[in-house]
Parts: sequence; structure tokens; C-alpha cells
Amino acid sequence: MLRATAVSRSYGETVVFENLSIDVEPGEVVAVIGPSGIGKTTLLRTLALSLEPDEGTVSFDGTDAWEVDDPDRLALRRRIGMVFQAASLFDAPVARNVEYGLRVRRSWPERIRAELRSLVAPSGTADAVRDALDIVGLDDKRAQHVESLSAGEAQRVSFARAVAYDPDVLLLDEPTSDLDPRNTAVIEDAIAEARDRRIGVVVATHDMYQAERVADRVAVLLDGGVTEVGPTERVFDDPRDPRTRRFIDGELVY
Amino acid sequence: MPIDPAVQSLQLLVDLPFREGYVRSIVSVSLYVSLIAVALSTLFSIPVAVVLGFNDFPGKGLVKAVINTGMGFPSVVVGLVVLFAVSNQGPLGSLNLLFTKQAMILSQFVLATPPITAISLAAITGVDEDVRDAARALGGTRLDAALVVLKEARYGIATAVLAGFGRAISEVGSVLIVGGNITGADGISKTRTLTTAIQLEARQGQYGTAMVLGGVLLALVLLINAIVVRFGDWGVQR
Ligand SMILES: Nc1ncnc2c1ncn2[C@@H]1O[C@H](COP(=O)(O)OP(=O)(O)OP(=O)(O)O)[C@@H](O)[C@H]1O
Ligand SMILES: [Mg+2]
Repeated sequence: MLRATAVSRSYGETVVFENLSIDVEPGEVVAVIGPSGIGKTTLLRTLALSLEPDEGTVSFDGTDAWEVDDPDRLALRRRIGMVFQAASLFDAPVARNVEYGLRVRRSWPERIRAELRSLVAPSGTADAVRDALDIVGLDDKRAQHVESLSAGEAQRVSFARAVAYDPDVLLLDEPTSDLDPRNTAVIEDAIAEARDRRIGVVVATHDMYQAERVADRVAVLLDGGVTEVGPTERVFDDPRDPRTRRFIDGELVY
Repeated sequence: MPIDPAVQSLQLLVDLPFREGYVRSIVSVSLYVSLIAVALSTLFSIPVAVVLGFNDFPGKGLVKAVINTGMGFPSVVVGLVVLFAVSNQGPLGSLNLLFTKQAMILSQFVLATPPITAISLAAITGVDEDVRDAARALGGTRLDAALVVLKEARYGIATAVLAGFGRAISEVGSVLIVGGNITGADGISKTRTLTTAIQLEARQGQYGTAMVLGGVLLALVLLINAIVVRFGDWGVQR
């Protein structure tokens, strides 16, 4: 469904990755693991069509996203949900954050009418927004301003914001880095539920146990490329690339 | 018959500053010129700041340098340039703008635009890049992302507009040159502003009037500040 083929990306002189390929299919969870600073975020932003690769292609259902014009790329981007590593919420109440993706998909006349109406009579929260907040257990916080949320709550709102508009692909950049075990389980359950609903999920994490718990496939990002990709169990039990083996052994000791 | 000095100064207060709407006409000229100039500056500056904040292009550093230099433009020089532009021989001579409010608006626009643009740009650049990316990643258009950034930067932008207004309303040199500090035969201000009136009254030894006008100027600036701060708070609650 969403596929990066032989992509390269540099920041100035710094090469982050070269000739990297990865893909995700509907109803599949792919974990991207690798040490800090290796390029997981850069890869996810490339998949999110936020960052144009220097070389290589990113395609969605066979359409090369950087060959089509802006409106078509926007249409592709609108099928993707992204949860950023830092929650990156908008300075507004929780519900308005979660609603954002739905709002920008409406026509301008509709949006203006809705804004005016909410000025006159604050209307109820849309069902999709409630459902999304329900998934992360924050329905009771929907009127609260994001400034007063804890880091873990903010991260869960960020997750709700990405699933509210029902994307086909979900890109999660360390979605549980600020969460306690209980809320980590909440998000991992939500990932499993997304898979059941035939959403393709890519989750970047440096928690290998999490990768083991949630992923169907694992891509190991090391040394500027994917050293290994395959079914989760196979990659962890029997890594073929010596660098992967060293990384996994080193990390799993902890 | 000797006049009691207390009565005399009371008469001064009753008579001078409020005579025939003198103060009111000066306040309205000041507000009219400054508010329109700042509104026009804002309409011009914010899109410029958004374009500068969102794009990288060759020569961007130069544009920023010009804006920063503009913050330090001596107002008398701006007045002189605008005076030349609107004088009979100048490029805008045919519009007959010399010693009009329009000419004053023009010079105030030139003075207020650099600080409004520079401070807005700083506020826009200061918005977390992730927030801008989030707007795009969640399906927003470029315009949606710009709106999100403007909303995040609203305090900085309010500060920018205030700074521009402060510069416009408290400025003397250029409005004196292009406006001429004129009152009509009835004593009602045509192009006399609070600042030019204060300077004239003080020079003529009318300290009481000058003080009253100074107090009004101060009160106006404080009032506008209070209104803008209030707006900022509404933004948060919504
Ligand atoms: N905007 C940028 N400009 C310059 N260099 C950047 C930029 N963004 C990332 N980098 C660099 O690219 C490399 C990869 O960064 P990235 O954020 O993708 O790593 P990561 O794997 O997500 O790390 P972490 O696990 O710590 O989040 C790093 O060396 C980083 O310093
Ligand atoms: Mg990262």
C-alpha cells in the first residue's frame, strides 16, 4: 500500500540513510527499530509525504507521490495519520486538536459556517472525536486546554488526533515514550485494533520488547539503511545480518 | 481688580484644552491617522512575514536586513522622503496629498511596517516546526498550516501591532513635515496630532494644555494595549 523504494535523505553533508526500502500493507504492523539519531523520525516523515526524499520514490497504491501535483499529493497525504514523537499539539482545547483533521477536510464555506455556529451556540463534540478520545481513554478531557495536560496525556491526544479521520495508514513515532506501562498497553491495544480494521501501521520505537509485542514485521535501521527486515520472530530469533545481531543482542541485554 | 491665581488656573483648565472641541479634534486626527496606518501596515506585514517565515529563497537575508534597518529609520528622514514624493514635483504630486491626513498615513505606514514585519516574523519563526508539520501531516493545506502558525504566534503578532501603533501614535517628526500641524480657522485640527500639538503648545508656553494632551496620549496608548491583551486572553479561552 505505502512503499518507499530506494530512498535517500541527507541534511546538508549528513547522510541519514541511502537506498532504503520499506513498505506496509493494510492490516499489518511494521516496527522500525534502531538506535537514537539513526533516522527513524526522518524515515517516518518521508513516508508521511512531509519530507521529499533526495532520491528514490514513495508510492501509495502504486502512485508515485512526488510525481503528482500538489492537490493529488494532498489527497494521498490525507489517507495517512501521523503521531509525532513530541506530541506537537495545537494551542487549543483537546477536542479542537482531535477534530483538526476532520475540519481541514471540509470546504471553506462549511468551515466558516461551523465556526460561526460554534461562536453563537457551542455545539457538541463530533462522534468521531469522541470515539478517538475514547480509544485513548481521554473522553473526559475533551474540553481541557492542551497546555494543562501531562506529557503522557498529550501523547495520547496526539494519537487520537491521528486516528480521528480514519486514515488508511498510521505512522507512529515512538508513541509510548512518555507513557507508563498501563497507558503503553492502551496504545498497544489501539495499534492492534487499527490492524484489525485493516489499517497499515508503521511504528518507530527503540523499545524492542514493544516491537516484539505489536509488530508483524520488523525493519532494523542501522548505519544509514535497513540492515534487515522480516517477520518479527525471525528477525529477533535469527538475525541474518551480523550488525543486526550485535544490535539486538546488545539491546536485549538490558 | 486683582484676579485670584487659583481662579485663573482653573479658568486655564476649563478654557484652554477643551475649547470648541480642540482636544477632541486632535485626538480623532491622531487616532484616525495611526489606526489606518497600522491597519494597512498589518495587512501588508503579516503576509510578508508568513512568506519569509515559510520559504527559503536567495536574497532572504538581504530582505531581513532591509526590514531590520527599517526599524531604525529616523522618522524625519521618512517624512522628508514622503514630503518629496507628494510634493508637486514628486511622483505622487498629482494626487495633491501635501499637508493631508493621507500623506501622514503614508509616512506612518512606512514607519510602522518594519517593526510590525520584523516582530511578526520573529514570532512566526519561533513557532515549533513540528506544529507546522503536524498541520500538514493531518491533511491541512499550505494555507491551513499558515493559519495554525499565525494562531500559535498570535501574542507575538499582537505585540508587533502594538509596537507599530506605539511608533505611529507617538511619532512627531514625519507627521510634522508631511502634515504641517494645521488647524482650520475655527481652531479645529486638520492635520494636528497629539504629538505635534504637544510640541507646539509647549513651545508657546501653554504647559497646562501640553500636559493634558500628553495625558490623553498616554491614556490612549494604555487603552489600546489593554484591548489587545484582552483579545489575546480570549484567544486562549476559545
Ligand atoms: N532538520 C534537520 N536538520 C539537520 N539534521 C537533522 C534534522 N533532522 C534530523 N537531523 C539529523 O538526522 C539524523 C537522524 O535524525 P532522526 O530524528 O531521524 O533520528 P531518530 O532515529 O528519530 O532519533 P531518536 O530515536 O532520537 O528520535 C540525526 O543525526 C539528526 O541530527
Ligand atoms: Mg525520532
